[in-house]
Amino acid sequence: MDEKTVVDYTKYRLKKEDELKESLGGINRMTLLWCKKCFTEFKEETEQECQQAIKIIRGLNLSISHCEGIDFLCNNHHTIKVLQALSSEEPVGVISCGIGIQFVASFFDGKRKVLALADSVPQSGNATSIAGYHGIALGAEKCAACGQCYLEKTGGICPVVACAKSLLNGPCGGASKDGKCEVNKELPCAWIEIYKRLNGQKRGIDSRIDIRDYNVFPVDEEKKHIKINQERRREGFYGGLYPLEQKEATEGLSIRVFPAPERVSIFLSQHTGIPAKLLVKTGDKVKKGQKIGESGGFVSATVHSSVSGKVIAIEEKVHPVSQTLQTAVVIENDGRDTPDSSIEPLISRDGLPREKVIDILKEKGIVGLGGAMFPSSVKLSPPKPVDILIVNGCECEPYLNADNRLMIEHPEELLKGIEIVRRLLEIKDIIFAIEDNKKEAVESITSAVKNYPDIKVATPKTKYPQGAERMLIKRVSGREVPEAGLPFDVGVVVFNVATLYAIYKAVYEGLPLIERVITVAGEDAVSPGNYLVRIGTHFSDILASCSGIKSSIPEGYELRMGGPMMGIVQKDVNSAVIKGTTGLLLMKKYPVEVSEENICIRCGRCVDVCPMELIPYYYAYYGQKKQWSDMARYKVKSCIECGCCQYICSSKIDIVGLVKKGKRYADNKM
Amino acid sequence: MLITRCKDRELIDILKKKRCLVLKCFGCREVYFPEEEIDHILKEAGVSASNKGRFDYLCREEFTERYLKYLERVLKEVDSVVVFSCGVGVQVVSKMLPEIPVIPGCDTYYINGFQGITAQDVDCQQCGECWLNITGGICPITSCSKGLLNGPCGGAKNGKCEVNPEMDCGWVLIYKRLKALGETEMLKKSAVNIRDYRIIIEGRKDKDESGRKT
Amino acid sequence: MNLEEKLKNGKFVITSEIGPPKGTNIMPHIEEAEHIKDKVDAFNVTDLQSSVMRLGSLATSHLLVEKGMEPVFQITCRDRNRLALQSDLLSAYVLGIRNILILTGDHTVLGDHPQAKPVFDLDSISLLKVASDLMKGKDMVGNDLDGIPAFFLGAVVSPGYEPQELQLLKMERKIEAGARFFQTQAVYDLDAFEKFMKQASNFGVPVLGGIVLLKSAAMAKFMNENVAGVSVPERYINMMASADKKDRPKVSVQIASELIKGMKGLCSGIHIMPLGWERYVPDVLEASGF
Repeated sequence: MDEKTVVDYTKYRLKKEDELKESLGGINRMTLLWCKKCFTEFKEETEQECQQAIKIIRGLNLSISHCEGIDFLCNNHHTIKVLQALSSEEPVGVISCGIGIQFVASFFDGKRKVLALADSVPQSGNATSIAGYHGIALGAEKCAACGQCYLEKTGGICPVVACAKSLLNGPCGGASKDGKCEVNKELPCAWIEIYKRLNGQKRGIDSRIDIRDYNVFPVDEEKKHIKINQERRREGFYGGLYPLEQKEATEGLSIRVFPAPERVSIFLSQHTGIPAKLLVKTGDKVKKGQKIGESGGFVSATVHSSVSGKVIAIEEKVHPVSQTLQTAVVIENDGRDTPDSSIEPLISRDGLPREKVIDILKEKGIVGLGGAMFPSSVKLSPPKPVDILIVNGCECEPYLNADNRLMIEHPEELLKGIEIVRRLLEIKDIIFAIEDNKKEAVESITSAVKNYPDIKVATPKTKYPQGAERMLIKRVSGREVPEAGLPFDVGVVVFNVATLYAIYKAVYEGLPLIERVITVAGEDAVSPGNYLVRIGTHFSDILASCSGIKSSIPEGYELRMGGPMMGIVQKDVNSAVIKGTTGLLLMKKYPVEVSEENICIRCGRCVDVCPMELIPYYYAYYGQKKQWSDMARYKVKSCIECGCCQYICSSKIDIVGLVKKGKRYADNKM
Repeated sequence: MLITRCKDRELIDILKKKRCLVLKCFGCREVYFPEEEIDHILKEAGVSASNKGRFDYLCREEFTERYLKYLERVLKEVDSVVVFSCGVGVQVVSKMLPEIPVIPGCDTYYINGFQGITAQDVDCQQCGECWLNITGGICPITSCSKGLLNGPCGGAKNGKCEVNPEMDCGWVLIYKRLKALGETEMLKKSAVNIRDYRIIIEGRKDKDESGRKT
Repeated sequence: MNLEEKLKNGKFVITSEIGPPKGTNIMPHIEEAEHIKDKVDAFNVTDLQSSVMRLGSLATSHLLVEKGMEPVFQITCRDRNRLALQSDLLSAYVLGIRNILILTGDHTVLGDHPQAKPVFDLDSISLLKVASDLMKGKDMVGNDLDGIPAFFLGAVVSPGYEPQELQLLKMERKIEAGARFFQTQAVYDLDAFEKFMKQASNFGVPVLGGIVLLKSAAMAKFMNENVAGVSVPERYINMMASADKKDRPKVSVQIASELIKGMKGLCSGIHIMPLGWERYVPDVLEASGF
């Protein structure tokens, strides 16, 4: 492909001055709202029409009491907040396409005058087929959405949009000698182009006579589709999406114990906060479950050896989350699994005071296993009172089934873990949330909680990222965590099922966090499954066992720790499993990679899917220009990096990558 | 925004007879995409995994170029390409494979909305001569089945359109809105309104031709 | 005297209607009209009524003129763009047609060719204005005409339409655009009609009340549910329901004549829409005292 056309598909243009003057007659003060446009390259800010309008309005001695630019003015959810905040009763002038203006008018529904200050820009350029929509692209191709696609007959050139008369059966007699259309001499006759294209395929124009059906999409059918779309979009919480679940390969596979490897690498940082302080040195003998790293502060955690053997090195290795070098303790397995003396069940756990149990959990290195790795002992001492415990059994990432299998195979242990937490926090209401795509787990837990009247099972409709704390809390309890707040601000605490299982093990068996269940899957994973692996197991060992791959990631594939949405691409197979590893996926590389440099086309999709209700395209724009303080202004710190914006981005911009940079640099004020 | 529905089952015969490469575009899956139905048809037709490609945003030339390169070996061995996407995607693929017949697997339809993936309750036909100032902010072209510009026809029954009793008569809605705004004289005062269809042609001329080339 | 003149002179006029067939067999309809031409002042010819493809109203209206009767040429905006509409108006004039009833027209989707492209380039108001402008010697874009037509322009109003103010507003606009007489949709409720006419008569433009012959109780119920602006009172439905099938026409004629007699004081005439029961029109007229 040599040349590409980039068209500006801005949907509105300011009305002519005399028309504006006429409609603004009799008004003294007004509010001005303008849409920041869609489907035009995001290379600069888009204020031209607004400035022009202000000039004209001021020229009429009209005062503008409030002027606001809105991203995607027709985004109902976001714009309603702006409209609700408008204080006075004066007329509102709107600069946007007809959808935006009508939306604002329907919001006020006759209580305030709404003025259209702009006309829409015709889309198709074809008066016979007024419909002619570009795709999610700024290219030249358009589709008339006729509902009876003729592209096979015409070799891929649309006769409805491209032919000025929308003829379906060959050219009219109007084309000029050099094959140009009689309506617009700059354009070629569409049917001559069709004829040429078909000739190139050694075909002629089909003799079939086509007559269009204008009633192919009756209004009630259109409304039905609109309703289906709106219901799905608005399900549960704002934003989010429905990626393919891809859980079939491993959802029915019970947890298998992955054999302890010959060597493990235990990272000192497997939690939020300060890395653990090293307690051993090269040459030391260690037992399974022995503490090898002490907690480094309040928000920190202990780290233990997952095998018995000898410390053979303290190395800088590629950390699976940061993808930078971090300290890891490399231990050679002696194969005996000699347990440390600290591994013994709490004999009188029921009678132990609260602080003692929390100390034990801290000592055993329990952190959140949903991926965030927040120290559980800190979570169990919330600074504000909490009255609801939400058990997170959502596992909303595609492919993963580790939590699912725990719920199916170990419901009783989970309930015991819940009971420990319940007592520590003195909570009455417990909601066990399981997304509705896990029927077996729902059955298992529903049956198990029959004797626990305090525990209610909630099965919200599957939607990504429902498992993210804020979304889950809103969905199952109705409470909204305030911006820059935490769950305890609304009296809620959330625990992942795997964490509760680890808490159970820590209290009932005295086992520190040295193993966890992960899902291994992917496009060509030979033995996909759910494995109980030792912390510190190298990815290469898992790959060797599951895919027959020995030392490196094969050409055309990538290794991801976690799920496809938020998982981290691993560049080094010698990195190892940490407490926050939920899964290991071997995926075929997609032919188009995301890039930080692609230009945004303002398609509006990122804003539609962001569950934190942010405006992600600014992260792309300012991130590319390295304007970090502007990124901070657009609340980049509130981003939970769920990956929805990147997933749906029609320009394939690495928005999450730019967000990560923005968060780092905003702190450093670079 | 564009949505697609699967073409008839006659597709299955095409898929069985010819050696086809099948492309599925999931770019607008979040809006609506009948993927299950398509997979069912592909299964029934026995299309092999090596002859299938699932990609997003086939309407983006720069991506489709790479998708087709990724599949170049398969392309050498097929007679035709069946594309399950909206008409834009089919046209882009056809443009890039001018010598292979490209067959649309879907018919494309439109539901209200331009940006994002959530359908709107209101629509804009992009007439280029916005009438909203004389109709209280309700579009007469899109909310009236006939697109009338000068008040209702006689066909409404109980405020519902003659075309579909579930649908409100757009002009009754406009009247109610004007009443709430105290502007019903708009219906008397405004000149006889007639559309100018030249605007549709002129309105895009300078934009399309000067679409920047890269 | 033609229809316009009769209305000016205060005569209580009677118009009837011909619905052309789906085909070329128009002559039986013309003959039927001839039988009652002494009692009927003008005959409306419908334009593809209910969006069903039929013989055109232009040709049929011309045949009526040839046979010495006065047509009311109905023209809708459903099928033709502004060029064709202006042209057909000029054609109507040279074919001897003067009375034009301008309507927007039913949507294509309701007829027997639901796949057709609905045009609606103009609507009743804009077409009335266009026709008025043609009468002033100019086409829509301001060109001078070589030969100027003269018409008696009419439009439709629906007394039963809710909200009534909107219908009256539209009526006013139609008059402003050039309507000089109105025919109404079917009336079955004289009280409601009187209430409507109290307002409508202020405009000073003659209104002919619409009469549709009821064929059965089922038809009445159907219209109540589906036809815009029409509501048949219970009393009439019961009258039709209690009659034997062979007596239905008689009851129907009775109802119609009752309505017509009631309308005599309220409006300037009546417009009968037989809808296939053309043969009973003479009875209706006789029973109403004509």
